[in-house]
Amino acid sequence: MFRMPIKERPNWEDRADEFGFMFHSMHGERYWDERAYYQFSLQQIENDIEAPTEDVHQMCLAIVEKVVADDQLMRRFCIPEIHWDFVRNSWLNGDPSLYSRLDFAYSGTGHAMLYENNADTPTSIYETGFWQWLWLKENVDAGVLPRRADQFNSLQEKLINRLKDLQTLTPDRELHFACCKDTEEDRGTVQYLEDCAHAAGINTHFVYIEDIGRDKKGNFSDLKDQVVSWMFKLYPWEFMFQEEFGGFLGTNNVRWLEPPWKSILSNKALLPMLWKMYPNHPNLLPAFFEDELHLADGFDSMVKKPIFSREGANVSIIRNKSEVAASPGPYGSEGYIYQATYMLPKFGEHYTLIGSWLVDDEAAGISVREDSGPITQDMSRYLPHIIL
Amino acid sequence: MKRTKHIDLDLMRKGLTKRFIQGPLAVGIAAVSLVSCSSQEEVTVVSSANDCASKTELNLVECEAAYQKAQVEAERTGPKYNSNAQCEAEFGGGQCTQSRSGGLFMPMMTGFMIGRMMSGNSSYGGTAYNPVYRYNNRNSSQYNRIMTADGTVIGKAGQGSYRVNKSTMSSKPTVTRTVSRGGFGAMASAKSSWGGAKSSGWGG
Repeated sequence: MFRMPIKERPNWEDRADEFGFMFHSMHGERYWDERAYYQFSLQQIENDIEAPTEDVHQMCLAIVEKVVADDQLMRRFCIPEIHWDFVRNSWLNGDPSLYSRLDFAYSGTGHAMLYENNADTPTSIYETGFWQWLWLKENVDAGVLPRRADQFNSLQEKLINRLKDLQTLTPDRELHFACCKDTEEDRGTVQYLEDCAHAAGINTHFVYIEDIGRDKKGNFSDLKDQVVSWMFKLYPWEFMFQEEFGGFLGTNNVRWLEPPWKSILSNKALLPMLWKMYPNHPNLLPAFFEDELHLADGFDSMVKKPIFSREGANVSIIRNKSEVAASPGPYGSEGYIYQATYMLPKFGEHYTLIGSWLVDDEAAGISVREDSGPITQDMSRYLPHIIL
Repeated sequence: MKRTKHIDLDLMRKGLTKRFIQGPLAVGIAAVSLVSCSSQEEVTVVSSANDCASKTELNLVECEAAYQKAQVEAERTGPKYNSNAQCEAEFGGGQCTQSRSGGLFMPMMTGFMIGRMMSGNSSYGGTAYNPVYRYNNRNSSQYNRIMTADGTVIGKAGQGSYRVNKSTMSSKPTVTRTVSRGGFGAMASAKSSWGGAKSSGWGG
């Protein structure tokens, strides 16, 4: 695994306009950064990332199975009691899922270590499935990269195939897509998934989360007053559970992507549960609930993460019981978990994080993010990669 | 190969064909987007069971059944208005009726579409009886156009047949009366206020 400098494609910003990639820069800074790429060997990809991704995912599913069967654990995962049946039933009915992303610390040697599971609302899928694919194709066509250069990225192909299966599993329903207003990144992500759904032959609609309505019976509706019967929402379950319309969840006839049982996986309580069920697994970091910190006596540095947190918000690094690095954010009122500190590998000045994608249960590719600090946040840069 | 074998770049471009004309009030009028011929089919619009029997290869009994199904579909999926006046403003005087459930007003179905493929092919079945409406708002560029329940325009009124996207023939979502909005999204705006303007989203 190397970090290799490369010339930017001279026209890449025009190409971004042409393909509607609008969030390549944010707050005046680069998000998409093609001044360098990461190079992996096929062995690193297949042995160290692809296989562990599918293993860890199966372990995570085993946790869901355990949590839905246990009231105490449902409480530990901060699932509001009124939604227990909703979450449970979605698991027991086998509600299908579309995708998720596992984040790993990996340096090119040794094991990839799981940081967390973005199972409910993962983003950067457009950059991964399409945009870095196009970057490789154009650099190969221009003779800048060798013809045998490959990429671990079958994401778009797998998404379309999975969406075809989901249409079969969800007959006679049209798919509504939803995300929040005022976020170009989320809208772009959802647009990409809509495009994949069209390619799979699904009829789609779009409504902003804030515009969702309800009728007298508690059905959800879009701005055209059409009843929502199948919805992909890029919006966290833990928010929906607590909001005004949350009370209608499970009472109306809606199929959800991601399904409600994903609220157990996108939850940081997953991490101490994994360590309990699979202690010393080579891809896991020791992790503990707040009331079990006595078990963590041997560790002088821990990372403290809120049970609900997105984009690295409210994460802090605790060394000898005092905070040495922290990120700001609005999360944490629901409690924290503690994970043994395992620093991201450094390539030059950059801390590098691997996002490993799954479509349903299959590993489908990676994304590489870089940050100048050790906690990867939403302003970290996205870099393409190749296999050579 | 560990990557997607092929991506059709034309499908990934964001051009004019992806923009939609937004219609007035409840009827969102979608311009029929440019689609490849393979995903199109020819449909006949008929106004009654008798009209159906004379214009298509279906017999009167089959046409009666198709008409009944289209009526049920119209009740379920047609645009709905709080008042008769609102409905008539879009669909014309005397063209609206009260829905059987709930006292809302909706346009009367002008006719229904029958796919040519359906003739002599019973397996094509239930989805091919979609109701259509004639849009009658003189202030709109879509005046005198025929549209489906979700506002997709299929062409000018009075044509013998129409070429439509296959999805036009599929069953439409149920249309209801929304009593309130804004019940989701509050936590996102509460959490976004801590860090100033939010440009990135709630994904992770």
